[in-house]
Amino acid sequence: MDLNYTPEDLAFRKQVRAWLEQNLPKDVSTLEERRAWHRKLYDAGYLGMGWPKEYGGGGARPMEQAIVADEMARANAPAPTNGLGLGIVGPTIVVHGTEAQKTRYLKKILTAEELWCQLYSEPNAGSDLAALRTSAVEAGDHFVVNGQKIWTSGGAIADWGLLLARTDTKVPKHKGISCFLMNMRQPGVDVRPLKQITGSSEFCEVFMTNARVEKSDQIGKLGEGWAIAQTTLGYERGGRALARVTTYSSQFNRLMEAARRLRRHGKPLLENPVVRQKLGRIWSEIEVERYQALRTLTQLERGEHPGAGGSITKLSYSEFEKRFMELALEILGPYGQLTKGAPQDFALDIDTAIGERGSWAYAYLWSRAGTIYAGSSEIQKNVIGERILGLPKETRADRGGGKA
Amino acid sequence: MNFSFTDDQILLRNSVRSALDEQCKPEHVRAMFDDPRGYGEALWGEMAKLGWLGLPFTEEQGGAGLGLVELAIVLEEMGRAAYPGPFFATVVLGGLGIQLAGSAAQKDRWLSAISAGKARATAALLEEHLDWDPASTIATAAREGSGWKLSGVKRFVPWAHVADVVLVPARAPEGLSLFLVDPKSPGVTLLPMVGIDLASRWSEMRLDKIMVGADAVLGAPGAAGPALDSLLRRGAVMASAEMLGAARRCLDMSVAYVKVREQFGQPVGSFQAIRHRCSEMLLEAENAHAAVYYAAWALAAGAEDAGQAASICKAYVSDAARKVCGDSVQVHGGIGFTWEYDLHLYMKRAKALEPLFGDAEFHRELIVRHLTSAR
Repeated sequence: MDLNYTPEDLAFRKQVRAWLEQNLPKDVSTLEERRAWHRKLYDAGYLGMGWPKEYGGGGARPMEQAIVADEMARANAPAPTNGLGLGIVGPTIVVHGTEAQKTRYLKKILTAEELWCQLYSEPNAGSDLAALRTSAVEAGDHFVVNGQKIWTSGGAIADWGLLLARTDTKVPKHKGISCFLMNMRQPGVDVRPLKQITGSSEFCEVFMTNARVEKSDQIGKLGEGWAIAQTTLGYERGGRALARVTTYSSQFNRLMEAARRLRRHGKPLLENPVVRQKLGRIWSEIEVERYQALRTLTQLERGEHPGAGGSITKLSYSEFEKRFMELALEILGPYGQLTKGAPQDFALDIDTAIGERGSWAYAYLWSRAGTIYAGSSEIQKNVIGERILGLPKETRADRGGGKA
Repeated sequence: MNFSFTDDQILLRNSVRSALDEQCKPEHVRAMFDDPRGYGEALWGEMAKLGWLGLPFTEEQGGAGLGLVELAIVLEEMGRAAYPGPFFATVVLGGLGIQLAGSAAQKDRWLSAISAGKARATAALLEEHLDWDPASTIATAAREGSGWKLSGVKRFVPWAHVADVVLVPARAPEGLSLFLVDPKSPGVTLLPMVGIDLASRWSEMRLDKIMVGADAVLGAPGAAGPALDSLLRRGAVMASAEMLGAARRCLDMSVAYVKVREQFGQPVGSFQAIRHRCSEMLLEAENAHAAVYYAAWALAAGAEDAGQAASICKAYVSDAARKVCGDSVQVHGGIGFTWEYDLHLYMKRAKALEPLFGDAEFHRELIVRHLTSAR
């Protein structure tokens, strides 16, 4: 056990920090500006770092990826675009795709020439994702797709989507799902922004009416979609572990500053013992998240996959984030609810990845999403209970055959 | 960067676990409830032989020359076994205290005796007001001839009734000082304080103008503050390690039980109400693990954030162990509330350690002080 960074890692961090100081863009608001920033990051070798070199990646170590993400968080740098392409679609094609698919798609994901979304959830298939009903029916050299997807992040700007659709209704629901790459720019695909409680629309609804998917764009074999989706969900975790904590820390520092300035009963809030206890608790939790990030990175560095352990990580930080943001709004009072007009001392300047500047209010509302998307806390607890603790599965009405 | 145990550390954990599985079964823990000394000499001798008693001391002192991470590994296992005996008192409180503050002669004398299993030690860090801040010490030390005269009342002194030496903080004219006191010397009265964890022993220790020699001062008179702060941090992290072990045991027992206990025609562990609670318990145990071993490493390595990490550790693990152990009783249902079932041994161990060396609230205040003084 040695929790010091190696000299190589420290040197690499210094190099990334210097590059960011030189190259951090002043303003990234339009999609084209964001694409340009993405491209710049890629050219510098800071995107697709963990991808294999033969597909345009950097073949970098997990620690190097984590350091880049961490330094970007420290610099409050805008996120690259195409997050789903980089984090989920690309890795899925690398593992499960044909050579033709790899050649056709991977490089354009890295360069953000083509933006991607993920077409998984449906109105009646959320936590029970395997109940999805969107159908893909064979028609000669292609499939005809009908159905509706929801919670499609980046749907409005996506050129392509990674689609899960039902290809067989006669087998148990987990076995009748297949995975495809679908062109979003076609008449049969209708994308409508979904306005969330934040007032913004990071997500969309996608309606498919006789949409076309080429047979050459099928990933894996028919009926393997569920198994493929299980592996892709795994790529969403790990690499951002340190960066997430750095973002928490800088937000926490802003909160401490606010607690110095705000007063109650004639004294600074920061002198109030109850407030101090709450701040002390949240800071402990931030640090524990950091320690856990170092554990995760240790595993990744050894080439181990956290597997179901990723569920512990996700459950831990997403639930923590809600507690953190609840405290922030408690301390900030009505300042915390401002979406406009917040004085500098009580504002939170964060990048929201949709071209608008963030706010405490936005971060607070957004924290509610974290325990729902990518497997709700309840689903994570099921996974932990069944796969790590080995607890018996519950009796479920849908274990048998039949159509979903 | 490597946040995982080395092969040697894993070997150590496995050997401590198998030794305690063998020699510190629940029956042994229970047998010690009514034992006047409260621990088994045979196991103590075994621990000396295995090198546990001298684990953090140098080889010249008869020790193994290992660090606080290894000591935390041993203490986690002791929590897991609800080990009854003065290991923590002797090695952490007495041993590390002497190592931190003692002269070469004091270390020579005591650390080799501790390592060899020939001496037991402890520290009297708490008084009536229960303030863990060493600066709040009320007991007094006055110069008398070439030595000192000590007076005061210490409470919750772990395993004082079997100790050969007790580290006693007292206020001298020079300031806060630390003394080595033989609890059998005239003027010292020990009264048992019996808590819910019958496998841990506490005494009230009254010092009525007792005399100690000039060589009984640890370090320079008036200079004990920093050593006591360091000892408090080490005590907090090592107590957290023991709580972690107790919590792990409670979790393991819960998971095993809910797999076989049936109600409504199926194992209760298949119900989400139970399964989700067990998953939350595992999450807390995993986070507690990270907090304990990060802090143990930071203290051992003298990391910049070691003091803060120790407080974060005690604050986090105190809360986590309370939740895990409390929930373990809940998922067991009625059986977990019976004396004959072993769950309460571990739950009570964690509970006994929870307020020691500063509870969560105490340490959260220290954390905020670290944060506000850092800028």
